[in-house]
Amino acid sequence: MIKTLSKQRLLTIDSGQSVVFFEKQLAPKTQITIAKNAHVKHYRLHEMTDHSLFVRLEDNASYELITLHRGDGNLTLYFDLSGKNAFCQSNIVYVLSENKNTLIHCDVHHNADDTVSRQFVKGAVCANAKAVFQGGIFIPYNKKGIDGMQQHRALLLGKNACAQAVPQLEIYADDVKCAHGSAIGFLDQEQMFYLQSRGLDEEQARTLLTTAFLNEILDDIEDDEVREELKSLALEEVCHGN
Amino acid sequence: MSAWLKIKDLCVKVADKPILNDLSLSINAGEVHVIMGPNGCGKSTLSNVLCGNQNYEVTGGFIDFKDKNLLEMNVEERACAGIFLAFQHPVEIPGVSMATFMKYALNARRKAQGKQELDAVSFIKRIKVRAQALGISDEMLKRPVNVGFSGGEKKRLEIFQMAVLEPDFCILDEMDSGLDVDAVKVAGNGVKIMRSEQRSFLVISHNIRFLKEQIQPDKIHVMVHGRIVAQGGMELLDEIDKNGFSAFLKEAVA
Repeated sequence: MIKTLSKQRLLTIDSGQSVVFFEKQLAPKTQITIAKNAHVKHYRLHEMTDHSLFVRLEDNASYELITLHRGDGNLTLYFDLSGKNAFCQSNIVYVLSENKNTLIHCDVHHNADDTVSRQFVKGAVCANAKAVFQGGIFIPYNKKGIDGMQQHRALLLGKNACAQAVPQLEIYADDVKCAHGSAIGFLDQEQMFYLQSRGLDEEQARTLLTTAFLNEILDDIEDDEVREELKSLALEEVCHGN
Repeated sequence: MSAWLKIKDLCVKVADKPILNDLSLSINAGEVHVIMGPNGCGKSTLSNVLCGNQNYEVTGGFIDFKDKNLLEMNVEERACAGIFLAFQHPVEIPGVSMATFMKYALNARRKAQGKQELDAVSFIKRIKVRAQALGISDEMLKRPVNVGFSGGEKKRLEIFQMAVLEPDFCILDEMDSGLDVDAVKVAGNGVKIMRSEQRSFLVISHNIRFLKEQIQPDKIHVMVHGRIVAQGGMELLDEIDKNGFSAFLKEAVA
């Protein structure tokens, strides 16, 4: 069921359903409730304005998100794993050109036993753009069998480009597996040399390496049309930034 | 006939340490030359300098290729002018398939030659024929460049790139090292097939048998302390095989 109000889009995925959807025109706020045993694959494009996404998962529900963010606004994500055995994977690609500025804030709450979360965030920051990634994993007292993972990688491509990662893990339980990591850096000069030594010019080499870096996430989109559209939009932003 | 590649009194520093000292060398069109020398004498430095690696600082001398000043060209301009280095340790490029990479590289060279880009069908045909000849499967072409390949497979992929791009001047930096007997033959065959009047080779190797049986060079240069100390034909290989580099080392010191 989808209900779109002026500022909010509400979705409820009934129990046992499997849904794949691609969201392009975002309302400022999207709320998704995934009922027991329902499975959702969600691809989305975030451009321009501030946006927040809330997802609640019931028992045995799964949610897999791949989003391309190339907006000049903030992105807030909130995942509530409220049902036992719920699985949430939220993968984000961000590409920022010119003077764009973004704050990506993501909270994953493991509010039930045996819940698993995976998050892989990759960004390319060009020109004078600035990105801040705040990623939190919250595990309350007494929860068991929790498995959480968060990874962030960013490439700085512009002279004044800036990226920051602020991981936040709040773990009050014992039976927990939780990992996180972040790395921010520049393009590998040896790789650049290798590509240029075969005739690619600097811009081609940069674009090829950057899109390869980002496509590691986008290539997981199963729908050919959606995948190619998001890949070409990411490429467009990278070229624009170069 | 004037030489294709002319290196005169070349001096190169790496991190302020002089590596090449007044090195001079000429190679004519269609010739295959070999550089031998003890470890650390500057062989790989020379191949990197020829390709334009910015980590190496040229402090003196000149390099001309086909009467153009190579030192004034950047890395990709040299590649487009026909210089190719088969790397000793090819770097991995995750996320970029060999086929995609070759398409970019081939079209860059064609553009520099004023030719049109290859259409998809001609491109596939071009890479498939060469891949087959070198025992490279379609699957290997789809995989990311050098990622997860064995040392031998990486070297074979370097030869494959050379075959696809058909450069005028090929530098092979220890292409045979770490290869098993069969792979050495494949590498050697790759060179044999590509030998032509319009293509020169500079081969760096320690493997005398490989040089004698597979490469059959026109000229051997012995490099010690960043300088060529002896030149000769195949007979020089026998001498090195018998006595090593000790005689040349003494000469260089004297």
